[in-house]
Amino acid sequence: MKKREQSSVIEIKGLYKDYNSDGLAVHALNGIDLSIKKGEFTAIAGPSGSGKTTLLNIIGGIDRPGRGEVKVAGKNLNGMKRGELSDLRLNSIGFIFQAYNLIPVLTAVENVEYVLLLQGADKKERRERAESILRDVGLERELKRKPAEMSGGQQQRVAVARAMVSNPEIILADEPTANLDQSTGSALLDLMRNLNKERGITFLFSTHDSMVMKRAGRLINLRDGRIVAGKK
Amino acid sequence: MIIYLKLSWRNVWRNKRRSLIVISSIAIGVFFMLISMALVNGMNYQMIDNTISTSLGHVAIHKKGFDDNMKISYSFNADSGIYEGLNNTPGIAGWAPRVKVQGIVRSSEASQGVMITGIEPGKEKGVSDIFNYMLNTDGSEFLDNPAAGDVLISEQLAKKLDVVTGDRIVIMFQDSRDEIAGEALTVRGMFRSPVDSFDKYVIFTGIKKLQKAAGMNDRISEISIRTDTRDESTVVKSGISPFIKDPEVQALTWQEMAPSMMSAIRLYDAMMFIFFGIIFITVIFSVANTMIMAVMERFHEIGVMKCIGTRPLNIFIMIIFEAVNLGLAGMAAGLLAGTVFNVVLGATGIDLSLFSESMRIWGTGSVIYPLIMFKDIAAAAVIVFLTAFLAAIYPAYKAAKIKPLEALNYI
Ligand SMILES: Nc1ncnc2c1ncn2[C@@H]1O[C@H](COP(=O)(O)OP(=O)(O)O)[C@@H](O)[C@H]1O
Ligand SMILES: [Mg+2]
Repeated sequence: MKKREQSSVIEIKGLYKDYNSDGLAVHALNGIDLSIKKGEFTAIAGPSGSGKTTLLNIIGGIDRPGRGEVKVAGKNLNGMKRGELSDLRLNSIGFIFQAYNLIPVLTAVENVEYVLLLQGADKKERRERAESILRDVGLERELKRKPAEMSGGQQQRVAVARAMVSNPEIILADEPTANLDQSTGSALLDLMRNLNKERGITFLFSTHDSMVMKRAGRLINLRDGRIVAGKK
Repeated sequence: MIIYLKLSWRNVWRNKRRSLIVISSIAIGVFFMLISMALVNGMNYQMIDNTISTSLGHVAIHKKGFDDNMKISYSFNADSGIYEGLNNTPGIAGWAPRVKVQGIVRSSEASQGVMITGIEPGKEKGVSDIFNYMLNTDGSEFLDNPAAGDVLISEQLAKKLDVVTGDRIVIMFQDSRDEIAGEALTVRGMFRSPVDSFDKYVIFTGIKKLQKAAGMNDRISEISIRTDTRDESTVVKSGISPFIKDPEVQALTWQEMAPSMMSAIRLYDAMMFIFFGIIFITVIFSVANTMIMAVMERFHEIGVMKCIGTRPLNIFIMIIFEAVNLGLAGMAAGLLAGTVFNVVLGATGIDLSLFSESMRIWGTGSVIYPLIMFKDIAAAAVIVFLTAFLAAIYPAYKAAKIKPLEALNYI
């Protein structure tokens, strides 16, 4: 029991989240129990409005849990101060959003470096790590490009590089392929899967695309804020 | 911290047109601020210099009370101690004794109340600029013999009295026994100074002639001193004061002799600052407005920055830097334009002879030489810096407060 908990990156028990929409309570999450272990490649599937984004935001410390317990990287998120959440996001979690992930005025390599800079790495180390990670995601020729000068797929690859450069415990990706065409999306997913297999990076991503679901190592189905079925 | 400088500088150029509008509005504000400051400085210092060079002198030695009441009874005997002081105090470029008596000048046509000033022509050349203001038409020339019955009057007064060089006029005044004395003098020359009141009210005759006519023996009203620069007045005053043994006699600086001129200058400076205040309140609003728009446009982006771990303080600093960048760019442009403009016009001067009568009343002369001073440039720089900073506080605070969750939902 103890051993299992230690290797869990995420531990969620009885999580509820309500939103107030024009005076009406919206039950976005209705009692989620979930455990994600190191090295897993997990997809959260479900139709629009099923609570995928809400769940990922709470895990990422962007939104607050309603009721229930949420532990990320061994730390209890309930009652964490804003600054502590900010540090947790910086040091333990990598984020990939649907689109507009990057700082538009910074080049690819500067965007990746930015995270290291926040972590206080020195200049030489920053540059080396950022460039080598961008090479790993196949962007050695795009280092000096600004986001507007890259395709959507390339921008998402930079986002992947930025998410993993700080060696986080887990990378959260909310519908990372939703804004990409079929083949670009599938290439991005291949990249993520390879990083997961070769380096053991833990991914938790959401999707409503069946192509994406098929490649997941583990699938969690959400309906109306409840987990309805899981496959291992 | 450098990354936020870099970010803010690049962000400034994301919306080139908008930034250029703000930058140029700041530049124009700074430009006009420098021009008006330089003009006011130029006018003030020309007024000061003209007043000093015509009548005041940089430092003067008087009997106490003379300043308030220029009567013969306030004259004194300059003893050898004073002369020793005049010859031994550093910073003195020249000095001249004068007798000043209030009286009336009359011709067959008109009369005018005047200040009759007795001078020693040779020494006077080293102190005041009357010699330089002499006209050299119609045989007009400067005095040479302090005992001769000659008089210098302004061109303006000559017109009023309807006299020309060589004509005779009569001066009347109270002598040392408080009796009315009169003296007929020959107009030896005419002058024209930049100061209207001076031309209206001051005439010159030989010091010996006036002393004799007033029964003053060797007593004088003042010793006027020219210092090497106008800023040395205080130093020279304290240098000369120990040599003055008579407790009733004192040295005064031009600042002390013309308190109303000094307060006029201070008032003018204060008015300039109100004017700048108005300019920069408008600048504050234009910068603040731009920054609020910039923050709103980047709502999502700032949210992403916070999601990946940027602290609110860093966002705050980034936005402040952005406004300060706008301010500094505008300031640089404005300072450059303003300095070039003022240096060029400072050399050529601005000819305001169109308004020359009122300029003469103000005592500045009709050509203004804008004078740009380092302290004004520094003041402009500090004001712009503060303005940009103040203008950015609210938008930066707003940006720092952006909630990542709301920002993510907002694309
Ligand atoms: N900030 C919010 N305010 C009100 N309701 C919200 C908010 N965020 C999400 N919801 C609601 O919560 C439910 C789950 O939303 P979401 O987590 O975004 O689903 P998904 O990402 O699966 O499409 C939806 O009914 C949505 O309308
Ligand atoms: Mg969603």
